Amino acid sequence: MRSETVGLIGYGSSVYEKTATRSEQGYMALAARAALDSAGLSPRDIDGISVSSTTLPPDNAVTLAEHFGLSPRWTSMGNAGGAGSVINVMDAVQAVESGRASCVLCLAGAAQDTEFFKDRINRFNRSVADYLAPHGFGGMNGLFGIIMRKHMETYGTRRESLGRISVDQRANAGQNDNALLRKPMTLEEYLNAPLIADPIRLFDCVLPCAGAEALIVAPLDRAQPGKGVRVVAAAERHNHPVGEVSPLRGGWETFREGFYDEAGFGPEDVQFIQAYDDYPIMVAVQIEDLGFCPKGEIGGFLDAHSLRWDGDLPLNTGGGQLSCGQTGGGGGMIGITEAVRQLRGEGGGRQVPGARRGLVSGYGMVGYGHGLSASAMMLEAVA
Amino acid sequence: MSLNPAYPPVRRTPENAPMLDAWQQRGEILLQRCDSCGAHLFYPRAVCPSCWAETTGWVPACGTGRIVSFSVVHKGLPDVFMAEAPILLAEIELAEGVLMIARVLCADPGRVTSGMAVAALPLAEARAFPLPTFRLEGAG
Repeated sequence: MRSETVGLIGYGSSVYEKTATRSEQGYMALAARAALDSAGLSPRDIDGISVSSTTLPPDNAVTLAEHFGLSPRWTSMGNAGGAGSVINVMDAVQAVESGRASCVLCLAGAAQDTEFFKDRINRFNRSVADYLAPHGFGGMNGLFGIIMRKHMETYGTRRESLGRISVDQRANAGQNDNALLRKPMTLEEYLNAPLIADPIRLFDCVLPCAGAEALIVAPLDRAQPGKGVRVVAAAERHNHPVGEVSPLRGGWETFREGFYDEAGFGPEDVQFIQAYDDYPIMVAVQIEDLGFCPKGEIGGFLDAHSLRWDGDLPLNTGGGQLSCGQTGGGGGMIGITEAVRQLRGEGGGRQVPGARRGLVSGYGMVGYGHGLSASAMMLEAVA
Repeated sequence: MSLNPAYPPVRRTPENAPMLDAWQQRGEILLQRCDSCGAHLFYPRAVCPSCWAETTGWVPACGTGRIVSFSVVHKGLPDVFMAEAPILLAEIELAEGVLMIARVLCADPGRVTSGMAVAALPLAEARAFPLPTFRLEGAG
């Protein structure tokens, strides 16, 4: 899915906090106001709302309208966890193209902390609640420990290589005042961090936190000069591979070829990647399955590249969830807002030089053993 | 031993009741098997995810399998499991070819490697756990 005429014209992030001091709606309102400001619009311009938030139910996109005093003519709520915001943007672009809305506010986020998350994870969905939680599965950490070990044993992937993701992203977070974790991290600290779900250690894990992200989808001719971002390719895939429990892939490889064909360029032509970083091992799988390196060769690939904002393959240039914190479903949007920030040349102290094209990927909705949803979006600055 | 009431309960459904009962009453792993295509299923479903047939029967698994991969969970557990930590959580391939995630009881997780054979707990121990649970083959 691509669009020549409709794209992203605003973006914003709320403050991130370890302990929630506001509701979901409070964080989303902060992010929405920042996004509207960046687009030069007011709340009255919004006639569509979409949201991805695993903690918002029983509220939804319609009740957000009530809370915010808006009267939209189109709403949508994502069901793909951390893959959801990419899909929300795809849907919003098509809603605007079809005339069902003219200006969509896309939201994602959560008001949560570590203790809240530990409890909620046991009820994430039915297969998790009924067939994983009764075992004492250790939340997502236990499941991704199984996947990480399998990748290491199948392909010889080493923690020394995967650790580069956490370490370089932490360096990126050093240039992001909104990141909750900014203290520089060494590879030694990553390797020797406390065990959580062996082989997963502390710095393989995200910090559940409170915050929100927001985007404005509208016709690109409404963008402020030089501030529009075009969606040149986007795709989603769910429950792939069918029947596997702890797969070393998530669905990106199923749409990769068509995705790059649609974009008109490939992975060698992007200036940065914003990948869904619930765990370094899943970032590694995304990099492999989106074609940056052959399957199973991520270890050598990571060893050969710098993932810092000023490196040769900038990854999660604001620090990602691993350093900013995970705001529930907002973890699926933080990569899009950071991509838009970079493509508008507003990256500040972490601006990627010459950023014109960037890849964002999403992953989420953990079911019986792994994330069920994969998504990706190629973004390009409007010249 | 009887079911530890502190463990999170499994919601009983029309699809999973025979499996839950077989484990609790007989220490048996009961697998759904599609009447149409013969596929074995876990977890229990309303339709066969291979061919969408709506009729499935039940067959007892032989109860043995192997560890495909695993993690050893030390932190982030509810209190009842924290008291039993570390928890060895494994992807297990049953002899019937079915994949499941389950707990493997093991006094020394440090000696566990992928590929090791596992067997369902004997009935007396099985009853404490709400879902099929394993130990290393030859243990006990």
